[in-house]
Amino acid sequence: MSLQILVVDDQQINRTILSRSLEKENYKVITAANGLEALEAFTHNDPDIVLLDALMPVMDGFTAAPKLKKLSADVYLPIIFLTALDDQESLKRCLEVGGDDFLSKPFDQVILAAKIKAHARIRELSKKTFEQKKQLDYYRLQTEREFQIVEHIFNRALQGNYHAPDLIDFYLSPAAMFNGDIMLTNLGPTGNLYIMMGDFTGHGLASAIGTLPVSRAFYALTKKGLSVGEVAAEINSILLTLLPSDMFCAAAVIEMSHSGKSVTFWNGGTPDIFIVNDNSGIREIVSAQHMPLGVLDDDEFESHTTNVNVSKEDRVFIYSDGVTELVNPSGEMFGEARLIQRLNDLNNNDIESIVEALQNFKGEQEQHDDISMLALRCDSTPISKTIIEDNYSKLPHHYELHLDAEAIKTASPIEELVDTIASIKGVQRHKSTLFLLISEAYNNAVEHGILGMSSNVKDQNDGFIEYYALRQSKLEELTEGQIKIDIKYSPNDFMFIINITDSGSGFDTSKLNPNDATDDQSFGRGNELIRELSKSVSYNEKGNQVTICYQLFDRT
Amino acid sequence: MSLVTSTSTDGKTFIMQIKGKFDFNLVQDFRLAYANVTNDTETVVVDLRETEYMDSSALGMLLNMQKLLSDKVDNFKISNCRPQIKKILQISRFDKKFDID
Repeated sequence: MSLQILVVDDQQINRTILSRSLEKENYKVITAANGLEALEAFTHNDPDIVLLDALMPVMDGFTAAPKLKKLSADVYLPIIFLTALDDQESLKRCLEVGGDDFLSKPFDQVILAAKIKAHARIRELSKKTFEQKKQLDYYRLQTEREFQIVEHIFNRALQGNYHAPDLIDFYLSPAAMFNGDIMLTNLGPTGNLYIMMGDFTGHGLASAIGTLPVSRAFYALTKKGLSVGEVAAEINSILLTLLPSDMFCAAAVIEMSHSGKSVTFWNGGTPDIFIVNDNSGIREIVSAQHMPLGVLDDDEFESHTTNVNVSKEDRVFIYSDGVTELVNPSGEMFGEARLIQRLNDLNNNDIESIVEALQNFKGEQEQHDDISMLALRCDSTPISKTIIEDNYSKLPHHYELHLDAEAIKTASPIEELVDTIASIKGVQRHKSTLFLLISEAYNNAVEHGILGMSSNVKDQNDGFIEYYALRQSKLEELTEGQIKIDIKYSPNDFMFIINITDSGSGFDTSKLNPNDATDDQSFGRGNELIRELSKSVSYNEKGNQVTICYQLFDRT
Repeated sequence: MSLVTSTSTDGKTFIMQIKGKFDFNLVQDFRLAYANVTNDTETVVVDLRETEYMDSSALGMLLNMQKLLSDKVDNFKISNCRPQIKKILQISRFDKKFDID
């Protein structure tokens, strides 16, 4: 499309001459006889260039120029003064009022044509810039809107977090608008408290996006009471499918028991986790044992965990590497040594003090990575007991097994029995302990009650092997004998009552010594274990029946 | 089989891994498994990450091993126990003879 030029001159003859010559150059021409007409013509035609006479009646060029410029605020409108004035002062004034160039009359057509071309190029550039600015503004608005939506989603996604200010103190500081660190907390069905801290590769929206599926999975899995190893395995599998191969998530999944006495860790690629004692400072370090989440295939994934016994004087301190990699104005990193020193400063090792120390260290320096810290006080979780009770079966169960000589010889019933009991709601977590209790009692019944063996054999060199070889051969010869296993579950007090009776002649229960095994002795631990792990244990007078009570959960 | 052994590449660590049930049914296998431990071995690790069940006979087997090898081997470790298994070891004061993690 050809350029449109507005010619403003009070002399008809000048307008005609100029119009003709411009039209010959293929420009479209509009004319105006004074400044006021020029403004009028401008609003209707939107010309690209104005050729403006300086001295005119009604409104002169000096007055019209700034008004025209104002009408074309967004895009550069070239105004070239064409004037009979040739004194310095007047020409200077042409530029001062907003003119971009001038040419004295009479003027050279060639020079005018060249000037028009030059200014047209600048106008073209200005138009492009304006278009780009408009586009940028549009994208900026669109992005802002999208960010608002995404922010809303992120906030909602993390709303499931369990808040327990008495137990959990934390600090999150993203380097950009979105956090590539994730801090999740949830209460499990037995009052166990789960925490997951993850650090996705990079920071900002790209790394934050992974937190959405992770938080979903975390809440769902912990609600079911899965072990931290299982939670980690499941989230690993999700991330492996979702993330590009150069992205992963260094994460620690932690579970504190309802009593607050035991903490289990699955730690993949995060900095050391510190157990900080109120009186002695850092007393244990749990280092990463695994690769970050989202790296290994399901069959390579390792879900084993570390377990630490803790007390009310302990806090578990977890942090992301943004803490130790924080840089001060001279380019030095905060480092692990400073953090350890802080944590060992018993009066200033709470999260607030550490944040203050980090701020002081950082000074005016910009923060380059997301920073997260969490301190967990090891104490019982404030869950109402009725919620816990809902996780145990409300049905009374009763199992009764009668084993005759043939069954005692061939079957090894305990594992199968425990697997069956473990399917009762809430029992899964007590499986290993129930196995031990029933196994000890059953093997006592077989070995001492039915086979009449004495443990003393075990005390000799290789006595153990001998003892069990003897057990085997005696079993093979067995022709009579019975063992009755009777297991009741009472939902009123969450109690298992395990009753095992053998057809043997019994034993003198008064000879049971509470401390029967020395630390070196390789046998005689069974009865001690039963006593320690059960609520109560008793024998009948004859000594051929043992009754063990085991409580899944103590309401009091 | 529920008992798997391996030796670290430098030959200094001997690892026994027990899957599922650790009780007297393993008494022979367990005894045979550590028969080949040599003087080069510095650490014996019993890895219980996949041990779900264990009873006092397993404790006896562990102690027998420790007694028999204590002349040759400096460190005895029981690693990756589940919480309930760890409790059993603690009640039996196994931390005096084994490094439990």
